[in-house]
Amino acid sequence: MVYWKLLTEYRHYFLQGIGYTLFLSFFSVILGLTLGVIMALSKMSKNKILNFLATGYIEIIRGTPLLVQVFIIYYNGIIDMGPVVAGIIALSLNSSAYTAEIVRAGIQAVDKGQMEASRSLGMTSGLAMREVILPQAIKNILPALGNEFIVVIKESAVISIIGVGELMRQTNIVRGITFRQIEPLVLVAGIYFVLTYSLSKLLGRFERRLKESD
Amino acid sequence: MIKTVNVTKNFGDLKVLKGITETISLSEVVAVIGPSGSGKSTFLRCLNQLEEPTSGEVYLDEVQLNDPAIDINFQRTKMGMVFQHFNLFPHKTILENITLSPIKVKKEDPKEAKARALKLLERIGLSDKANAYPKQLSGGQKQRVAIVRALAMQPEVMLFDEPTSALDPEMVGEVLDLMKSLAKEGMTMVVVTHEMGFAREVADRVLFMDEGLVVEEGDPKSIFDAPQEKRTQEFLAKIL
Repeated sequence: MVYWKLLTEYRHYFLQGIGYTLFLSFFSVILGLTLGVIMALSKMSKNKILNFLATGYIEIIRGTPLLVQVFIIYYNGIIDMGPVVAGIIALSLNSSAYTAEIVRAGIQAVDKGQMEASRSLGMTSGLAMREVILPQAIKNILPALGNEFIVVIKESAVISIIGVGELMRQTNIVRGITFRQIEPLVLVAGIYFVLTYSLSKLLGRFERRLKESD
Repeated sequence: MIKTVNVTKNFGDLKVLKGITETISLSEVVAVIGPSGSGKSTFLRCLNQLEEPTSGEVYLDEVQLNDPAIDINFQRTKMGMVFQHFNLFPHKTILENITLSPIKVKKEDPKEAKARALKLLERIGLSDKANAYPKQLSGGQKQRVAIVRALAMQPEVMLFDEPTSALDPEMVGEVLDLMKSLAKEGMTMVVVTHEMGFAREVADRVLFMDEGLVVEEGDPKSIFDAPQEKRTQEFLAKIL
């Protein structure tokens, strides 16, 4: 069977690809979350300049293709950072715009009375955020953040275009070696699906546990 | 102790407060009554600056609260507030709810803060709930915890924003009883309420508000038994 032969004979290509894809996605989500939290807080801040910058950033990132962003970061004309770093930066920036909205929605879903009660007890808004609002917002944010991880895994295929040896790039190499088109592609679709589906099942279980602790 | 001078508040084009000048003295219990939308909650929230007045001045012990130069967080530690919907912190235990601000804001010794919190819980008969979470409590229990959470900051004034409006009728009594005992101890209190029985029995003074103004004020007897203004008469006729 041709699929089995592909999978066993070229498993090193696919395994390396899976490794890169998960590595890229994981770091992009972490960096994207960090930047996303900053953007979300800026967007909610009363400071008009911060607010304007964050809103502009989020809109521009969400309104342009990831492929274009990847090329701009890679061929930035200033420094040569190599495809892996450029790929992580591009994916992180892209993800942060979506994460910012997730975080903002999660914070705003916390009852307004919580902030008022905190402030009435003399807390600064920063202290209230840390002690009262964010611990509650996390429960709203985590499930959506898991979905963002899944999205990033799929989107990371775009990074193959600048030569990072992730799953899609490895598949293209296998296509080149074997002169087969459809089979490696169907195979890689299957691999992506197994990755995202098991991750989503895992997250579902995690989410149920979170709900139980309510 | 608290003084407001010509306080107004607009939300966009809507004028919610149209100039309120009031003085509340030490140990006084003031009940604020009036129809919904009359601005009574907004007035209360202006006292601790949860709402910033559009114009006018609010003073606590001669310190102007709506002055950007003052440290409002410090001033707020002197004014406890109790909300209609309790606003306990759901992710913290009852004990943590009470000790959070004394420890984090007033930098009290955690052991002392905890000891005082336990004493307060004993007072309201909920010592056994110290390590429970808010969702395990009834509405009346939640509101009593919310009251002692505010008391744990040892405030000079307590502000109550319709503290019994979200409660099942059978739980109103326990909350009012706690408020009565506070009043007896000489706590200065401003209470926005629909509980006319409470206002009549406990308040030293009743303010009747309508359309953003204090229409009439006086001791409970004169307000409830011999209201002078037509709007007060109409309001009381509807609810009593």
